[in-house]
Amino acid sequence: MQNNGWDEFEIGAMLRSFDGEVKDIATTLQEDRNYSSSNSFTASVADWRIEKPVFNKDFCIDCQFCWIYCPDISIISRDKKMIGIDMDHCKGCGICVEVCPTNPKSLLMFPEQADEEAELAGWPEKDKEEK
Amino acid sequence: MAFDKMELRETEVWDGNFAAAQALRQAQVDVVAAYPITPSTPIVEGYAKFLADGYVEGEFVMVESEHAAMSGCIGAAAAGGRVATATSSQGFALMVETLYQASGMRLPIVLNVVNRALAAPLNVNGDHSDMYLGRDSGWIQLDAYSPQEAYDLNFIAFKVSEDHDVRLPAMVHQDGFMTSHTAQGVKTIDDDTAYGFIGDFKPMNDMLDFDHPVTHGVQTEEDWHFEHKARQHNDLMTKVMPKIQTAFDDFEKLTGRKYNIVESYDMDDADVTVVCMGTSVETAREVAKEMRAKGIKAGVVGIRVFRPFPFEEIKAAFKNVKAIAVLDRSAPGGTPGAMFNEIAGALYNTDERALLSGYIYGLGGRDLTKAHLVDLYTELQANVDAGKVTTPLQQFIGVRGPKLAFL
Amino acid sequence: MSEIKKIKNLKEFSTSADRFEGANLLCPGCAHSIIVREVLNATNDDLVLSASTGCLEVCTAVYPYTSWDASWIHIGFENGSTAVAGAEAMYKALGNKGRLKQPDRNPKFVSFAGDGASYDIGFQWISGCFERGHNMMHVVLDNEVYANTGGQRSSSTPIGSSATTSPAGRVSYGEKKNKKDMMAIMAAHGSPYVAQVSPNKWKNMVKAIQHGMAVEGPVFINAVSACTTEWKFAPEDTMALQDLATDSLVFPLYEIIDGTELNITYRPKNVVPVEEYLAAQGRFKHLFKDEYKYLIKEWQERVDAKWDYLQRREEAKV
Repeated sequence: MQNNGWDEFEIGAMLRSFDGEVKDIATTLQEDRNYSSSNSFTASVADWRIEKPVFNKDFCIDCQFCWIYCPDISIISRDKKMIGIDMDHCKGCGICVEVCPTNPKSLLMFPEQADEEAELAGWPEKDKEEK
Repeated sequence: MAFDKMELRETEVWDGNFAAAQALRQAQVDVVAAYPITPSTPIVEGYAKFLADGYVEGEFVMVESEHAAMSGCIGAAAAGGRVATATSSQGFALMVETLYQASGMRLPIVLNVVNRALAAPLNVNGDHSDMYLGRDSGWIQLDAYSPQEAYDLNFIAFKVSEDHDVRLPAMVHQDGFMTSHTAQGVKTIDDDTAYGFIGDFKPMNDMLDFDHPVTHGVQTEEDWHFEHKARQHNDLMTKVMPKIQTAFDDFEKLTGRKYNIVESYDMDDADVTVVCMGTSVETAREVAKEMRAKGIKAGVVGIRVFRPFPFEEIKAAFKNVKAIAVLDRSAPGGTPGAMFNEIAGALYNTDERALLSGYIYGLGGRDLTKAHLVDLYTELQANVDAGKVTTPLQQFIGVRGPKLAFL
Repeated sequence: MSEIKKIKNLKEFSTSADRFEGANLLCPGCAHSIIVREVLNATNDDLVLSASTGCLEVCTAVYPYTSWDASWIHIGFENGSTAVAGAEAMYKALGNKGRLKQPDRNPKFVSFAGDGASYDIGFQWISGCFERGHNMMHVVLDNEVYANTGGQRSSSTPIGSSATTSPAGRVSYGEKKNKKDMMAIMAAHGSPYVAQVSPNKWKNMVKAIQHGMAVEGPVFINAVSACTTEWKFAPEDTMALQDLATDSLVFPLYEIIDGTELNITYRPKNVVPVEEYLAAQGRFKHLFKDEYKYLIKEWQERVDAKWDYLQRREEAKV
């Protein structure tokens, strides 16, 4: 699109969310959608992050607090289970970590360059002081 | 259909407002969002009465301001259907923000503008200040000189505006009171034929197509804005005039009434000519004939399509003319009149560059009399005889006090 | 009438397929997005949306990207409500004329706008939409400031807040006026449903949205939106701030049905002192100087008085 001339856009700067026809989008999961290249789903804000969340499923109770309070639709929940983080869309705000109720937390923030395997291996123990 | 057709006589006695209201009824507009303002109010009153009497079906949204009227029209047009409204003067000025938004979003909307002066000082009468205020808004602007034309040009406006190659909103202008409130004979088109001329509304990028979600009204910054404005300008410059011409041709076949992008009267052999818009065209035509009886070869040019500006057609219309008076009915605000400037631009690079002078007249509904025009044609002939413009370039006509002229 | 989406608990809610997308340009930790998600996910019906100029609009439709999976329109700062009203009018017109492409749907018409676009510049447009009774919902993303343009005061900015056009300084404690009571104003329009919601109380909020979508007529939702940038707190603390807002009763959650019946919809088990809410935000930092501490006391008295008033209204059923 960057190289398109003025005559190659939809008039009125109109954008389409999807390529072709969509049926019942409200019950179609992201992986089954035919996103257009104009949908921000196809873009990334990964380079905004200074810190990143790492998910440790061993402690997760699938409460879905992280899902509902994520401002960036970056908590991937399927069949009522938290299955991972969408690292293209996560801006690293850290809300998911703050709202995680488990002990130890199932999500923790680490520097963007941190090695996920290493951080998981060194995950903190249960904190007895916490409620 | 849940509404009745209306039987019209072949010729009805309508003022310009009622003629426009009848056109909106016959177009079977889906949504009218409107706010009343003198002198355009009877258009939406007329539409409301047709609705109340069951002669049209649609949503009539009586909003709380002209800004909201055009905002509602934009929402309705983006949703996907036929949309129209009417306004004048201060209401038009309040709409201006949304006018740019409507055209930039490429939404077909027909706006009847009953021309009226802009305050201050407050004035309810006809001049072209509001029409000129819209001239850079990216709309199509058609100008009617009579109730008949106000009626006819509405059909042209819908047809061109809704064309998928155009998709630009269109204004139909008429002079406040002089046209809007002056009843004249109007030759009618029957309901089916009138609707058939415009045709069914064909949606495009419509928000109510839930299987194809669309985003309208995006942000474009320095990396994209220019291309979209360029595209809109390109379409105004290259696509609109041919579509208007086709619509005029089709309309002539249907009704026998012929319209031209630039109207020329007695121009075949004219030496001196007046160019103007609105009701003044008819006055000038009458005077031109009288001048010819006195031996002055006088002609009249009327601008029918003010936007896009008929650059080429103007060049052609003035091809063999020796002196031109451009009449601007709007306070120029520190410059020669807008139309003077544009016509000067159109003629500057022509070989037979005619002598050009500008006149400011009729502000706030002040009459342009035949006597004014006799003087004006006489001055033009004097210019021709002298081989140069003998008067200042800008003169005021019909204003009290010492002669007012500049440049 | 369409069926109301069944959302028993958060697990069930989490099966929703979002119609608002990531890689929008909202600040990390912005509550606007959380509010929008809870509104959109409250229904499976089709949506016709608008946003007035503001953070949400300017961050979700920046060419060549849109973050919206439903039809969406933006016109200007003041007229997002009327844009949706126009679309709703067209929906009615085409329905009556038998020209809808998908006549079997039950679209919901929702306009989103900030407090500036709702309380100030767009106020007349919203009032017009409500007076005319369009079948639509207007959702205010109330962060009490013009955040998109860098933090100028709006008529939603509360007393003592430091905004760029009402800054705290050597001789000023910042904003001098009390926040406009839009809930009362909109209820006075005779709206069938007016509610103040907060996304931390998601169940409460979704219930309000579903109620609002189920009734006929114009519905007003005032959603508290903690602004990490202008309220000046760390982005990860957004939900903590939302909790402080609701649990200190600075933002009491209540609804007004048909302009009269007022119900408190959330009663905090442990009411937090207003001081804690203020202390968590940089915009109120100066209030903790000795000379301005009286303002904190006044804040608490104001919040207590309002809560008392709401309870008396609820009890009196007027």
